[in-house]
Amino acid sequence: MLLRKNPGWTIAERQATPETLFFGRRAALAAAGLAGTGVALPTRRAGAVDLPTAMRNPRYRPERALTAEREATTYNNYYEFGSHKTISAAAQRLPQRPWTLRVEGLVERPGEFALDDLLRRVPVEERVYRHRCVEAWAMVVPWSGFQLSELMKLAAPLGSAKYVRFETAAVPSAMPGLRQSWYPWPYVEGCTIQEAANELSFMVVGAYGKPLPPQNGGPVRIHFPWKYGFKSGKSLARVVLTDQRPKSFWEQIQPQEYGFWANVNPAVPHPRWSQASERLLGTEERVPTQLFNGYGEFVSGLYEGVQGERLWF
Amino acid sequence: MLRLIAVGLLIVGLALGLLTGWGVPLGETLFRYDPALLNTAQAGIQRYASPALWDDGVLPLLERPSWVLPAGSGALLLMLRGLLLSPRRR
Repeated sequence: MLLRKNPGWTIAERQATPETLFFGRRAALAAAGLAGTGVALPTRRAGAVDLPTAMRNPRYRPERALTAEREATTYNNYYEFGSHKTISAAAQRLPQRPWTLRVEGLVERPGEFALDDLLRRVPVEERVYRHRCVEAWAMVVPWSGFQLSELMKLAAPLGSAKYVRFETAAVPSAMPGLRQSWYPWPYVEGCTIQEAANELSFMVVGAYGKPLPPQNGGPVRIHFPWKYGFKSGKSLARVVLTDQRPKSFWEQIQPQEYGFWANVNPAVPHPRWSQASERLLGTEERVPTQLFNGYGEFVSGLYEGVQGERLWF
Repeated sequence: MLRLIAVGLLIVGLALGLLTGWGVPLGETLFRYDPALLNTAQAGIQRYASPALWDDGVLPLLERPSWVLPAGSGALLLMLRGLLLSPRRR
């Protein structure tokens, strides 16, 4: 039997200072001229894709320990690369730069944004969000990014825009799943214009203080922390404002299991399993699932008066 | 019995070709029949057996025209039957 005795100085990975804060502090010191000793302080890793320094926004408290980075970046759902969890190596084939995001449809200012240019025009911050997969596992990740509403401001939606449609890039040379030509590629997800304006709706470009890895949806994805994870489209190439409710990828394939709203609700089981609890990646602990994944105070008002809709699928 | 199965498979292949089109992949035919079927099968195979079994074993078959698998299997069975019943073996 292997007996492992930790020396007194060891701490759990979740207790370590997040990399983004570490580098953020160095950037702040450098900017204030406090480094002072003539020793250069690097503000980010050499060779990394540009990711602006993102200070953590303390407003969003996960009330749970961070998931270890290794767990969050090696257990992934990304159907374009396969229907299993170990797609992280295959996903490295998806080029991350240059990357452009088109915003169009019912907007005053449609445009195509080079991602790095876009990041210079929006306030980037870090938020620690809980992420709840429809498959009843969960993780807590420090995401870097900007509010979706900032992108909406740049595009200026017309009054007739009612929904936002998110399209994932379709790159056949990198994504073996696209060989299955019978599926309705590209991966499409959507939300209402009110949901897009909600402060929680977050465009993610980084995780754990680094550029968002492709297996987690890099270089840019959307994240709705109160919805099941499949609603948060990855590797976005196109955002379309529309007056038609988008029919999502999974809605077209299995509409009885995956709907448009997909808000987290422990009292409404998936047709094939319970949603009452969730397994935390890394610790494998099972904890009770919360309504709206615990973000009810931010989002429950969005659904008041919504009648005749399956809000929980 | 073997011949009956083989002829049955050839007929299924012919029918699929006529009904769905000669170039339509088997995967698309199955998807039209039941959109959730292949997703469930893929998840089962890749998660509980091997990702490669789907990518390199099942997917190439699904990419072939619908009629190829049944008609090919039927033809193979007829050839096998021919070998088993060849004069040298009697």
